[in-house]
Amino acid sequence: MTMILDTYTIFWREMKRYKKSRSGILIRLIQPAIWIIVMGNTFASTRPLIQSVGFNGSYIEFMAPGVIMLTAIFTSIFGGVNTLWDRRYGFMNKALVSPVSRSSIALGKMLAISLISTLQSSLILGIALALGVHISNLLVIFPILLTVTVFSLGFSGISVIVAATSKSQETFWGVINFLGMPLFMLSPALFPLELLPSWLAFVARLNPVTYAVLLIRQMMSGTVQLLPVAIEMAVICGFVVIMVALASYVFTREVNKPF
Amino acid sequence: METDKLSKVYRSGLKAVDEISIKLENGEIFGFLGPNGAGKSTTIMILTTLLKPTSGRAFVAGFDVVTQAKNVRQNIGYVQQDSTVDEYLTGRENLELQARLNHIPKNVRTKRIDEILEIIELSDRQHETAVTYSGGMRKRLDIGGGLLNMPKVLFLDEPTLGLDIQTRYKIWEYIKKIHSEFGMSIFLTTHYMEEADKLCNNISIIDNGKIKITGSPKELKNALGNEIVVFEIDSETKLDRLVSEIKKTPTVKDVSTNGSVVTVFTTSGDQLTPQIFQQANNLEIKIENISLTKPTLDDVFLSHTGRELREDEGKYDRKKMRERMRRIRA
Repeated sequence: MTMILDTYTIFWREMKRYKKSRSGILIRLIQPAIWIIVMGNTFASTRPLIQSVGFNGSYIEFMAPGVIMLTAIFTSIFGGVNTLWDRRYGFMNKALVSPVSRSSIALGKMLAISLISTLQSSLILGIALALGVHISNLLVIFPILLTVTVFSLGFSGISVIVAATSKSQETFWGVINFLGMPLFMLSPALFPLELLPSWLAFVARLNPVTYAVLLIRQMMSGTVQLLPVAIEMAVICGFVVIMVALASYVFTREVNKPF
Repeated sequence: METDKLSKVYRSGLKAVDEISIKLENGEIFGFLGPNGAGKSTTIMILTTLLKPTSGRAFVAGFDVVTQAKNVRQNIGYVQQDSTVDEYLTGRENLELQARLNHIPKNVRTKRIDEILEIIELSDRQHETAVTYSGGMRKRLDIGGGLLNMPKVLFLDEPTLGLDIQTRYKIWEYIKKIHSEFGMSIFLTTHYMEEADKLCNNISIIDNGKIKITGSPKELKNALGNEIVVFEIDSETKLDRLVSEIKKTPTVKDVSTNGSVVTVFTTSGDQLTPQIFQQANNLEIKIENISLTKPTLDDVFLSHTGRELREDEGKYDRKKMRERMRRIRA
């Protein structure tokens, strides 16, 4: 019980900080908005290619789930950076000398990051809908955002791990940029898996982002089938459980060392 | 609170804390003094369960800092050297956050925060974002945060570092006030001697990880003799002979020299002064000027830690880094 309350305390603090950084909310939307507007229209003529693998929509509709995932990936993978601030400015020590457990701190941070990521992604989903992206049923927004939340929890774990083990901002950003872009690119976010060279398609199948993109795309286009969805959900959940457990472990170990 | 031969050796081989044994009586203010890099912060980090000691044991509020860390955390307040105020939150929200971290039950939380805000005199600005607070207000908020859980032991790490003299006096008043109101033990590190002199019942001077001396400020000053004669002579050539002459007098406790300036610690300055003139005269040394003062804690400190400057590069880098990040964030 105290564990849940402690996690909530950290979560509460992170959300307070998020609410007060209004400019940040908008700035972080600019990049995905550019992606969806510029890339979506640049590659509009690839529609026949997309349709050849069975997707009955425009390119923007095809890549909208990819851009939602782009927002989710980057919001959550950047989200852990305040762990470094906290250690520098002493908030971390304040929390560490209180009776709050170390893993609650990590969990509270991850939950806050994943909620923030969901909020950001929902704004991008709104932009996509405003640009005329058609979705099968408006109610499908909820399972889409739930997928984003769960997936972001896993990615926030990556962020917390990197932040807890980095001693400096430079290391953090270096590693995060090294991880973020390839994870996004090596997925069917912008282009169908079926049209990739087989070795790239193979690598993409090892990437958890792939399953989240496919799941959201199926939900948006209304082509949900039981077996693929079950596999996708299983992969995502497995990924998240592993990342959350690993992040709690690494975080607890690292914060007990002098910074 | 008590430590027994507490040591911490960092992985780099640096022995930051070297067999420190100290004991605090209940309700006393204990000063931990030392130059930069002496091991003060490492000691405080061990006592607040942030670092594990390499060897030795420490008990805070009766609990072992290693095996009973959770109990220790429930009974301490820790006010860090650098401000930990969250600038995004209001003053009240900062306290609210710390209250939640310290498991203060919901039904007493509001009342406790009101009381603390009253004590630190921030009630009228509690709903403003902390980014608008001055350095002194932030420090008060930090101290207030350390009091929320009514700790048995309060750790104050350099509570007045970087504050102007008016604010410093004010903070000392607050510390005295909370001490008389709550009666907890206070473990205070500082390198301002005046601060230790004003606030502490007992102090330890630490240097290079070792305790040099422990006692009340008064005892330590008296140990140096209760008076100091400082004089300057015209040539340094016969300095050594003069010093050895002066040292023969039984009331002289210690003599130190710095260039042509001689400092004599004594128990009877009045009688010693004419005698020094006599001895100087015999050696044909001219005394340019002479003064008689009472020792301060500064003199105690310098006599135990020496006068040479400390290497402190690590700290400098950290400060620079912090400045840079402030700018990025602003």
